[in-house]
Formats: sequence, structure tokens, C-alpha cells
Amino acid sequence: MTEITQRRTTWKKLDARVRTILPFSLTVTVLLFGMTPTYVPGLAQITPMYTLVAVYFWAIYRPDLLGYGLGFAIGVLEDLLTGAPLGVGTLVLLLIQWVVFNQHKFFHAKPFVITWFAFGLVAFGAVLLKWVGVGLVSSSGPTPFGDVFASYLITVAVYPIIAWLFSKVRSGLLDEP
Amino acid sequence: MKQPTGQISRLGTFKYLAQRFAFLSLIGLTFALMLIGKADTVIVERVSMAVSDAVTPILRVMAEPAASISKFVTNVQELGAIREQNTDLREINARLLEWQAVAQKLENENRQLRALLGTVNEPEARAVSARVVADYGGAFAQSVLITAGGRDGVAKGQAVVTGEGLTGRVAQAGYRSARVLLITDINSRIPVRVGEAGDRAILTGNNSPRPRLIFLGVKSAIAPGDRVVTSGDAGAFPPGLPVGRVVVADESSALIEPFVSRDRLQYVEVLDFGLTGFLADTDGPQ
Repeated sequence: MTEITQRRTTWKKLDARVRTILPFSLTVTVLLFGMTPTYVPGLAQITPMYTLVAVYFWAIYRPDLLGYGLGFAIGVLEDLLTGAPLGVGTLVLLLIQWVVFNQHKFFHAKPFVITWFAFGLVAFGAVLLKWVGVGLVSSSGPTPFGDVFASYLITVAVYPIIAWLFSKVRSGLLDEP
Repeated sequence: MKQPTGQISRLGTFKYLAQRFAFLSLIGLTFALMLIGKADTVIVERVSMAVSDAVTPILRVMAEPAASISKFVTNVQELGAIREQNTDLREINARLLEWQAVAQKLENENRQLRALLGTVNEPEARAVSARVVADYGGAFAQSVLITAGGRDGVAKGQAVVTGEGLTGRVAQAGYRSARVLLITDINSRIPVRVGEAGDRAILTGNNSPRPRLIFLGVKSAIAPGDRVVTSGDAGAFPPGLPVGRVVVADESSALIEPFVSRDRLQYVEVLDFGLTGFLADTDGPQ
């Protein structure tokens, strides 16, 4: 009898543990997803920056589960994987978290359209900073801004899809009644 | 202020300070990372390839559906044009057979002349085929991850080609994966020869689909349509690998359209000519 209860609590603990790392693992998943080749002409150039969406989303809705430490980890992972100048993407993600955490009152419990619009602003700042940062750190000068801007627009366009998926996960698995 | 509220606010302040400290120290760490990355140490490369090696199996699985869909679409498209293509191919085949005869004759002649002159033969290439499982970087970097690494003999600096021409070079080689810097990446520099005159130039990537030519010394009349091939200068690449075609040529600049498109990369070949040019590591014993 006691053994069963014990086993049950172990399962519960494990279950809770898995749930708490969900935002992080989902963010890594969208990062890897963004890297898989699509074979669609012209798309590789302007792939959406999925990590911006994911980090912004979790910073608003579950800041307790994706804090600065994990934001940093995601940034380093992305920089190492993409071969972009190390540290620049990390800095950008940390700053997004900083903005959202500090303006929590503004971002919290707002209608979707407003969060989306705010994402448009935050992401523009982020992309601009990344563009400048990559240009400064890399020895070959700036990347053409046209593709970067197109990539930004696509990132803003995919925000609703990712946010919808994540909020399904959030309401289904994370925010228990 | 009452006691409990004071406690809560003190706790809140503590939490706030802790968070602020975490943020500031991570920002500091980020700048440290930028410096380390800039110094281009071997450590960054090793860590980077270890991470790539670890995620390659996952990416391999994730790339499967897109590859299947792409294959299916291509199959359907080809099915529609199969009759037309067949006629075209027959014609091309007939023409190529004639060319083959010419090539064989020239090859014989070339061999005899080389023997007469006592030229040293160029090294034969060993090729390793690999699948492209990740297209990195979006707008900021242009590189792909392939499923061959150190265990298959892939090493930094080797040329990566497809049937169409030069794709890029191995920038980092892990154990089971390698990162290929495409010729369009902003960090890519390839010594090339342009047109029939064979003007020397450096093909410089700029993260756009059309890399730029920077000429060294004499520049003769370059016209759109001129072929660009690797020059083999500096021992970086074997000479004569097709790279692309000039599309824009004016006084100040020349842009080329590479033969290999980033979007269609599914399988590539890594060529090992046993060359150790300037792109390979120079910190080993000479």
C-alpha cells in the first residue's frame, strides 16, 4: 500500500519536473525546427528567427520557467549551432527577457493583438541590435539589411502560429487549475 | 508599515536583486563570449562541433519529412514533363557522345604532352558523400551541417561540391558531422579565375545569393556569362572546380550567380586532395 503511494509520488515528481522544463525544451525544438532544410527556393535566406518568438512568449507567460539562465543557454546553443558570431544572439535574447520582465505590467494579461504588436516592436529592436552586433563582431562588415528585414517580417508573421501552439501546451499542461 | 508586508517586500527586494545580479553577470559573460569567439580559439570550435555532433542525429530525423515532401513534389513535377525530357535527353546524349570522343582524344593528347614535358600529375581526389541535415543561420550566416565528419576523413579546409560545382568549404569538422561554410557566406573568400582570360580574383561572399568578385591586378573585359572556376591559388582548393557565372559586370564590381543553389542542397561531396593550404590549421607542426 505504502509502496504504491510512494511510486505514485515519484511519478508525480517526475511529471512535475518534465512539465517545468517544457518551455525550454519547446524553445530548443523550434530552434532545431528552424534549421531543418525546407528545399523551398529562397526560404533559407529569410528563415524566421524562432527563438525570438519562443523566448518572448515564455518571458510573458511563464517567466518562472524560462529565466535569464535558460535564456542564456538557448542563446549560446543557437550561436554555436548557427555559426553566427558567438555571444551576439545570446545578448539579444537576454535583452528581450530584460525588457519583458521589467515591463511585466504592460505585457501581462493583454489581448493577443497587443502582445503581437508589442512583439513586432521588441523583435524589431532585437533584429536591429543583432544586425549591428553581427556587423561589428564579424570581420567582414555588415550583412545586407534587406534579407534581415524580410526575415524579421516573416518572424512577426509566424508569431501567431507559434504563440497558438505554445498557449495550447501552456493551458493543457502547465497551468493546472 | 506592518510587519508581514515588510517581510514580503524585503523578500521581493531580495528576489529582485538576485535577478538583477543574474542578469548583469550573464550580460558580462556574453561579452566575454564575444571576445573568446573573436579570438577564434580552438576551444570555441571544439565546443561548437561537439554540440553539432550531439544534435546531428535529431536533425537527421527532423530533416526526413521535408526531404520526403520535396522528393514527392519533384517526382510529380518530373512525371508531367517526362516525355519531353526524354526527347531532350536523347538529343543531348547524342551530342555528348560526340563530345566524349573529342574528350578522349584530347585526354590522350594531353597525357602524351604532359609526359613529354615531365609535368607532375595532380593528386587524385578522395570523395566522401554526405547528407545535408541543417541549413543554418537564416539571414546572418550561410552554412549547412552535413552528416560526415572526422571519422569519415573530413577535415577543415576541404572543398565541398555537388554535381553542379563548388558549394563551399569545411569550416569545422566534428566526429560525425561537419559545418560547411557556403561560398555565399560573408566570411567566405575563394581564389578564382574568371573568363577565358583567366583573370585572378577573390570571390567574396556577402550573405546574399550573389557573391562579389574582387580582382587582383589586371582585369580584362569581363562580360555577363563568363565562367568562374577555382584557381587553386594558395593551395586552398584544387584548380578548375566550376563555381558560377558572372551576372553583373561593370566598372566597379562583378557579381556571380553560383552554379550550386543553397535551396536545393540535399547531398554533397567532400573532396580530399591532400592539400594543406592556408585554410587548414596552421598551428600544427610544419
